[in-house]
Amino acid sequence: MAEGAQREREARAWGWVAHLRDGGTTPWSAWGSAAGADEQFGRYLPGAQQLELLRRLNQRRLPAPELADRVLAASAPGRGLPDLGLVGVLPASAFGPPPVDPAALPADELVRVASALIAEDVVAAGDPVERRQPRLLRRRYRLLGDPELANPLRDALVADGRPPGGRRSTVVVAGTDLESMLVHLWTARSLGAGVRPWPDWLRLELGRATVPGRIDLAELAAEWVPRVGSDRVHVVLDDPRRAGRLAGRRRHVPIRPLSADAIELARRTAPVVGTLVTPEQRTALMWQRLRPVLAAHPGPPLRVPRRHRPWLTDRTDDLRRRLAAGDYAVHGVLADPVEHPAGRAGVRGPDDDRVLALAVELLLGPRIGTAQAEREAT
Amino acid sequence: MSTATRKVHLHVGTPKTGTSYLQHVLYHNRPKLHRHGIVYPADRFDAHFLAALDLMRMPWGGLEAQAIGAWDALAAKVRRAHGDAIISHEILATASRAQIGRALESLGHGTDSEIHLVLSVRDLVRQIPAEWQENVKHRAALGYCRFLDQIRDPRREGRIPTWFWGVQEIPDILDRWGADLPPEHIHVVTVPPAGGSPELLWKRFVAAFGLDGIDLQLDGERKNPSLGAAETTLIRRINRAANEELEPAHYRPLVRELLAHQTLSRRTATPRLALPPDVHAWATGLEEAWIGEIRARGYDVIGDLDDLRGVTPVIDFADPDHPDEAVVASAAVDALKAVLLDHARLQRELAQRDGELRDTQRQMEKAYLRPTYRLREKLVRRLETGSTGRLAMKAYRRARGRSSRSA
Repeated sequence: MAEGAQREREARAWGWVAHLRDGGTTPWSAWGSAAGADEQFGRYLPGAQQLELLRRLNQRRLPAPELADRVLAASAPGRGLPDLGLVGVLPASAFGPPPVDPAALPADELVRVASALIAEDVVAAGDPVERRQPRLLRRRYRLLGDPELANPLRDALVADGRPPGGRRSTVVVAGTDLESMLVHLWTARSLGAGVRPWPDWLRLELGRATVPGRIDLAELAAEWVPRVGSDRVHVVLDDPRRAGRLAGRRRHVPIRPLSADAIELARRTAPVVGTLVTPEQRTALMWQRLRPVLAAHPGPPLRVPRRHRPWLTDRTDDLRRRLAAGDYAVHGVLADPVEHPAGRAGVRGPDDDRVLALAVELLLGPRIGTAQAEREAT
Repeated sequence: MSTATRKVHLHVGTPKTGTSYLQHVLYHNRPKLHRHGIVYPADRFDAHFLAALDLMRMPWGGLEAQAIGAWDALAAKVRRAHGDAIISHEILATASRAQIGRALESLGHGTDSEIHLVLSVRDLVRQIPAEWQENVKHRAALGYCRFLDQIRDPRREGRIPTWFWGVQEIPDILDRWGADLPPEHIHVVTVPPAGGSPELLWKRFVAAFGLDGIDLQLDGERKNPSLGAAETTLIRRINRAANEELEPAHYRPLVRELLAHQTLSRRTATPRLALPPDVHAWATGLEEAWIGEIRARGYDVIGDLDDLRGVTPVIDFADPDHPDEAVVASAAVDALKAVLLDHARLQRELAQRDGELRDTQRQMEKAYLRPTYRLREKLVRRLETGSTGRLAMKAYRRARGRSSRSA
């Protein structure tokens, strides 16, 4: 009797799996049909996280059958909740994590599963761009400063056969207003070796006496003056095109900003990519494969919360003073912290629901690295 | 009908059950095991840990970069080997059903391998404090009381409880790993109670892994030593103070190895960490339920399921959240001494390297100062300033057959 009831409950769950594989969107709590025996296509029931992610994908657009199968077979990477059972399927047990209603799962847990699939797509996209052999005749340069300004420009130069370094280089320190540079630095770390969530990271950085070394433009410039001479060091604050010209690139490299949620999705994906490829490959893939795709999805920009304005003002004044005292060229002026107008105010941090929505868009969009994805990203 | 040509003993946990020692013995006896037809496929001590990280796609402070492809490589070695194989790492206990499916398939389950699952287990009364201590040695800053509250919360949300139950909940681990295996191929090895013969656990491992009759070298024990209550508190306070600034790459050698393992674990006369008396009943209740469940499932138990019953509560519980500050201070002095001595050692090494570097520089300068070298350098510099000279240099380099621009 009890066994029969259990079989019925499991059949109901398998029925829901079949429904979701067919593109259904009915939540588990409203699902009643049992599956036939031939519809039990797995060795075990997929976890609630995987099933709910597939339902969210179905709600947005019908995914390819291959994607549906990948979702159901995925494991959430790293540490976190284990794959959870569906409430009402297994008999009450003293062991294992408690079963859940999938619709009640936090978005964060679904993002965790999605990040594994996005990471696979990023890695499958392969090495980003073919690099030209280094040109014999090229301007020697080093590009430092704000990573969102410097890194894409450097990548473009390297792809064009102009790697950085060499004797008597022109040192270009690219920068912009301090608030943007903080956001850009967190972005770069999110695309790289990994970083804490934005609020934790910001709290830590704002607790320090100085701005982070990577965006301390005055310190970076001062370090290079004794090595290459003051006439070869330029701090560029006004126009990124000038930074490109000084480094030897005439064509402008447009840099599309990332939304707060896009940065967060990158932050969640990069560690998983790091379990599949070397750190160098991860950096290249994240910047050159995933970043353009994320940039094609608009969203509210990330801002430093208003309460930190005094810190920004103080540090901007200090940085401006030190730049003025430096023995090198400074192009432009370090801008004051901006009062963002209403409607363009941005957000104080990423939002899990929006991050999940973005992850769903990425999974349903053209596979990363394909010609279609590249077209849409540009 | 099975066509298996080898047995694979897959040891998936649990932590703090003598796993480090077992892995040490197996690793250092590989040639001898091989001669007896058993392969322990590892070219470095932590090879199976890296394979587990790879299987579970688990970032681990940068170590994951060394783990890429490690599981498939390990599985391939198992399947290439002529003979039985042993794989052992305790973090495998947390694997998901999908990861377990992939692991078993890659090892040849159902085709050419007969998988034997081994789970070594210890009573919760000892495991709970040991897990908190392990968390602290991995940078955790939360107090013992908060740790206990989190693991007792039935929602099990957050990093600490999900990890704890993932690696410690014996019936659930066996459910996940053993779903496709017959119960007689699932071997539960119990850790004897504290104070028993140290050889007894080893004998049980020998029985579980089929190592009878192999004269393995057992010395050179690699321990994962435990700390006292006050010593653990000291590490937790260090974590709280230094976590924000100390890079993971430096934490492991300095805090975990130098302070915890090499220094504070030697203080064995101080009060030990234990389960608080008010948590004891909850833990022993779980133990009873687990014993009943394991017995009912009909697994091969090596040892005695009664070992899973923890001892009675300690009378003088040393609360690490409210420690004897004099003991913490004396531990801190020991820690500071260790750091000073290590710093002095590094200073000596630095001075020696500095001397070697200066010697090398002097010798290079001597070579550069030879009149012929200076003459050649001067000539090249002069030639490089004019277009004719540059052309001449280009022709010379081409004739010489190298593209270097050096003089």
